[in-house]
Amino acid sequence: MTRLLGWVRGLAPTLVALVMALLITGVFILIIGEDPLAALGALFDFGDSPTAQANSIGVWINRATPLFLAGLAVSICFRMGLFNIGVEGQYRMATVVAAGVGAAIVLPAPLHILVIVVVAMAAGAAYAAIPAVLKTTRGVSEVISTIMLNSIAVGLAAWLVRSPFADPDLGSGETAATREIDESGQFPGLNDLFGALGLEEPRRPVHGFVVVAIVVGVIIAVVLSRSRFGFELRASGLNAMAAAANGISSRAMVIKAMLLSGALAGLVGLPDLLGSAHRFQSDSFVAGYGFTGIAVALLGRNRPGGIALAALLFAFLDRAGPRLQSEGIPPAAVTIMQGIVVLSVLIVDEVARRRLRRREERRARAEDPTTRSEEVAS
Amino acid sequence: MTENSAPVIELAGITKRFPGVVANSDVHLEVRHGEVHAVVGENGAGKSTLMKILYGMYQPDEGSISVDGRAVEFGNPKDAIAAGIGMVHQHFMLADNFTVLENIVLGAEPTTGLRLDFRAARRKITEISDRYGLGLRPDRLVEELSVADRQRIEIAKVLYRGARVLILDEPTAVLVPQEVDALFANLAELRSAGLSVIFISHKLDEVRQVADRITVIRRGSTVATVEPRATTSRELAELMVGSELPTPETTESTVTDVVELAVAGLGISADDGPSLLSDITFDVRQGEIVGFAGVEGNGQSELVEAIMGLRKPDTGTVVLGADDMTLWPAQDRRAAGIGFIPEDRHRQALLLDAPLWENRLLGWHVKPPAGGRYWISPRLARQEAAAIMADYDVRAPGPETLADALSGGNQQKFVIGREMSTKLRVLVAAHPTRGVDVGAQAAIWDRLREARAAGLATVLVSADLEELLGLSDTLYVLFRGRIVAKLDPSEVTPKVLGGYMTGAVTQDGEVGAQDGEVEG
Amino acid sequence: MRRVMKLAAGFATAALLLTACASDDGEDSGDSTDSGDSGDSGDGLEVGLAFDVGGRGDRSFNDSAAAGIERAQDELGIDFEELSPNADGSNRDELLRQLADDGNEVIFGIGYAFAEDMDTVADEYPDVQFVRIDGAPSEKENVAVMNFADHEGSFLVGAAAALMAESGQIGFVGGNEGVVINAFGAGFKQGVAAVDESIEVEDHRLASGEDPSGFDDAAGGRVAAEAMYDRGVEFVFTAAGDSNVGVFQAAADADAWAAGTDSDQYETVGDADLQQVIATSMLKRVDNAVYESIEAYSNDGTVESGVFDLSTEGVGYSTSGDFIPEDVIAQLEEYKQQIIDGEIEVNFEE
Repeated sequence: MTRLLGWVRGLAPTLVALVMALLITGVFILIIGEDPLAALGALFDFGDSPTAQANSIGVWINRATPLFLAGLAVSICFRMGLFNIGVEGQYRMATVVAAGVGAAIVLPAPLHILVIVVVAMAAGAAYAAIPAVLKTTRGVSEVISTIMLNSIAVGLAAWLVRSPFADPDLGSGETAATREIDESGQFPGLNDLFGALGLEEPRRPVHGFVVVAIVVGVIIAVVLSRSRFGFELRASGLNAMAAAANGISSRAMVIKAMLLSGALAGLVGLPDLLGSAHRFQSDSFVAGYGFTGIAVALLGRNRPGGIALAALLFAFLDRAGPRLQSEGIPPAAVTIMQGIVVLSVLIVDEVARRRLRRREERRARAEDPTTRSEEVAS
Repeated sequence: MTENSAPVIELAGITKRFPGVVANSDVHLEVRHGEVHAVVGENGAGKSTLMKILYGMYQPDEGSISVDGRAVEFGNPKDAIAAGIGMVHQHFMLADNFTVLENIVLGAEPTTGLRLDFRAARRKITEISDRYGLGLRPDRLVEELSVADRQRIEIAKVLYRGARVLILDEPTAVLVPQEVDALFANLAELRSAGLSVIFISHKLDEVRQVADRITVIRRGSTVATVEPRATTSRELAELMVGSELPTPETTESTVTDVVELAVAGLGISADDGPSLLSDITFDVRQGEIVGFAGVEGNGQSELVEAIMGLRKPDTGTVVLGADDMTLWPAQDRRAAGIGFIPEDRHRQALLLDAPLWENRLLGWHVKPPAGGRYWISPRLARQEAAAIMADYDVRAPGPETLADALSGGNQQKFVIGREMSTKLRVLVAAHPTRGVDVGAQAAIWDRLREARAAGLATVLVSADLEELLGLSDTLYVLFRGRIVAKLDPSEVTPKVLGGYMTGAVTQDGEVGAQDGEVEG
Repeated sequence: MRRVMKLAAGFATAALLLTACASDDGEDSGDSTDSGDSGDSGDGLEVGLAFDVGGRGDRSFNDSAAAGIERAQDELGIDFEELSPNADGSNRDELLRQLADDGNEVIFGIGYAFAEDMDTVADEYPDVQFVRIDGAPSEKENVAVMNFADHEGSFLVGAAAALMAESGQIGFVGGNEGVVINAFGAGFKQGVAAVDESIEVEDHRLASGEDPSGFDDAAGGRVAAEAMYDRGVEFVFTAAGDSNVGVFQAAADADAWAAGTDSDQYETVGDADLQQVIATSMLKRVDNAVYESIEAYSNDGTVESGVFDLSTEGVGYSTSGDFIPEDVIAQLEEYKQQIIDGEIEVNFEE
């Protein structure tokens, strides 16, 4: 009961921040001479027809899934004070390798998908192992090395998709791509589920991989809060020196955290790969989730539940982009709004945290008469 | 030394209280023109507090400060600087990617109108450098310079601001011997130019070498001001340690014959210079507290880290019961039942931003019931944290309270409760009562005695002689990384202990190598 | 850890704002933020247009398309609605769907990146005519692809370069190694070789594979071109989107020639110093393609795929600034005629 209350109390500042962000964005829209209320309407406009509404929900889910996974991947490293900017490169590498391997094999449906997922996670983890090893053996800052490796990943992925994994049937004028993954390796969409729930079926495939993402999210949440690994991660992040003095090797933790982060990053590209693209093509590959994932992780305060909400919020705003354009709001407004949301949440949260801390200290003093004299003395 | 006897600084009756502690009480210090005045005392004796008062960082509760015979009050370091007092901190405060010149003028930038006048600054710095033989090159980047060079920059920085009295806080701690000699040459230049230097140290041989007069501080009070020529090292050591030692409580010995922890031939070499630890051999039996005395920085930290598996020894073995654990990682040692109270609880023992129940798990998170090989139980950890709070009188609202919200004494009680509420075989305690109030101190001592009675083997490192003598069954003295004496706490005299701690005598009663004046 | 979080916050915000600024470029220069249903005549043909990443205001590809549709609005009396994709281009299909849902009969996707998304959406809206600018042919009945013979236009620029560069040192700066840019490079090299087979063109790409970052890297373009000019190169042809301006700056510093792409960059570069070094531009008349497609639909109710090449004035070279000497223009016109007549066959691959 008290924990539930604490939860609500924890959420309150975030809600305040969201309202603030909305107000600030409204002022921006006023400044560029448009109607904020119309914009607000467009934000919540899911379309007129049931099909359009189902479609909007589908878009929302499809956008939120990779953002959630990316945020999760980033947050693992954040928890121990590591700044893995390399999720971007890790998921690119993982996606191209998974696409190449997935197209090369044919297996019974669930197994085929499982193999692709495992390959993607392994590839992501392997690519994340490079900065981890550089940091633990040579002291190279992971910020620098992951940024560099992101650039390298672009080139490496481009080469992989042209040479070893290239679709041999492509014509000479066509953009390089891997072969299409066999149907057994394609993840079923959720469109039928919409029908089963009495909704219209969305026209575009709704990526069933969201189910995997939810399961992964739950597992990570349990691991972080209940496992020895989760505790060691948190302890290393809060005070690396104390963690080391109490037997938690910081090198081992850097490696473990980076590997897990990379493995999760490996999943980021899969909703799209298994759900609709079925192959890797540099042109249509969606880049940037790794960077947006940083913002999502921040907004979600590094907690899986929070990251899920943050991913839903980001996707909700993204989804509204075209609608807002119809109202004359420039497409960049969405990005600006996302930035304002992150900033306001962080600022309000910091203020709330400090207030909470002061209250805790007062309460602790109230318990302890010896420290009360301290206040008087100093 | 000029015999100009007029004091430039006079501190009279200075008293400074902190909650639960009196850091300085009735301190008197008189520094003359053109003298190097050493202030010596054990760690924690109150030297730093006194200097911070003189430098305006603290305000005294009682007593007066006068400069050139005029009473002054320093609200902050700026006032002190204006009165001609400068401080060279132990930890340098320099910007690495600035030049020497920029670092020196930083915060006191020379301006003509609105422009920075670096030409004048350069002239002044060169002048200072030449006059006192500091050998500074204004355009070098600080990051390229050695520790000794940086120290000279700090000195120049203080002189640039017009200091006539320089406070040097443990300046030799970071230097190698040749650099120490160079520093002393610089100090001689300063002295002959009529400036005064307050030199803080606990290294008696150095102090005797450089100082014109020495003021000894013990437990927050000045006990004497002496001339080095007229005083032996041993007399100085006795002044530092005190002539009366606390009498250990006569409790029945609980020492058994079973050796629980055996350290043999332990050695750790430094990258350069003398070894940090060499040939450390001792046993700790069940029901025994083995104490380590020594001036800080003589190998205590390294010894503790080697036992806990936080630092790899170059030679020697550490054996727990029948198991050679020399190569075990730290976690396995904890799991095998070694408790650890580190010397710096904020940095090594606590997650300040985490609730108490998570702090309960720290170090023990692999140990059931609350911890485990793969999983932890927050529910059980909360229960255990609450139990520790009750048993060890930790005053806090509950297990969800952040460790940071607790007072220092309560934090320490929690750490001790955490370590001792597990079934331990060996406890390694470094300064277990540092910074806690008297009441908590007595409670912690009682706990350690109870555990000893129950058969715990304890390694106790402390700077508090009362604690060491009151608790230890066997007392070793560490000096320069070696065990220089094995003593019986019930028979030891201050003169003997002080002599060993400062290196004035060695176990065989021979005269210390660096001190020819001491009689056997 | 708190420090890291603050660093991360700064980083994330900066990244978000940067992308916002980058994609915001278009909106302030484009005067029609109120593009939706902007037509005054309520009963005109309704046309939708989805820009490539970057949107309106890029002074090149997208603006050329915008010019075409505005001309159609003026001359054919159509109504139009325009949308821009988000920064990562992941919502192209949604833009097309929304344009279709809003009742537009003809919908343009500007850029080859629309290929897959447009095919998908075309299935969902069989009654809507989709038109894609650039890229491979589509199998869908209601998708027309307007292709440009970039290689033919580039051939003429190559010939101009070989005729104007006395030293015979010539360079090419491409945005990436994708098929579109490869066609520019291939045509250009063939044009150079047609004049002088011994000339080896220095070929530099700002990004590898299909990585689009090379189109938004003016600094990279400048560095690459500076290196070429330092080695004595006299003429650099650049096909690298927004990075072109970096090449122009390097050319101005070296007082050597450069050539731009897509639109007449002499007119659009907006800097008198840079104008002086833009010898010519490979013109790609996206505006014509858009306008003619709308015209075709108004007349026939359908749009056929088409190739815009030299013969239809879909591609060409610009002479603004009058930097190309008369005799060179004469020779270029000769080459042009030979290509149109089929006497010279320009390959889009090397």
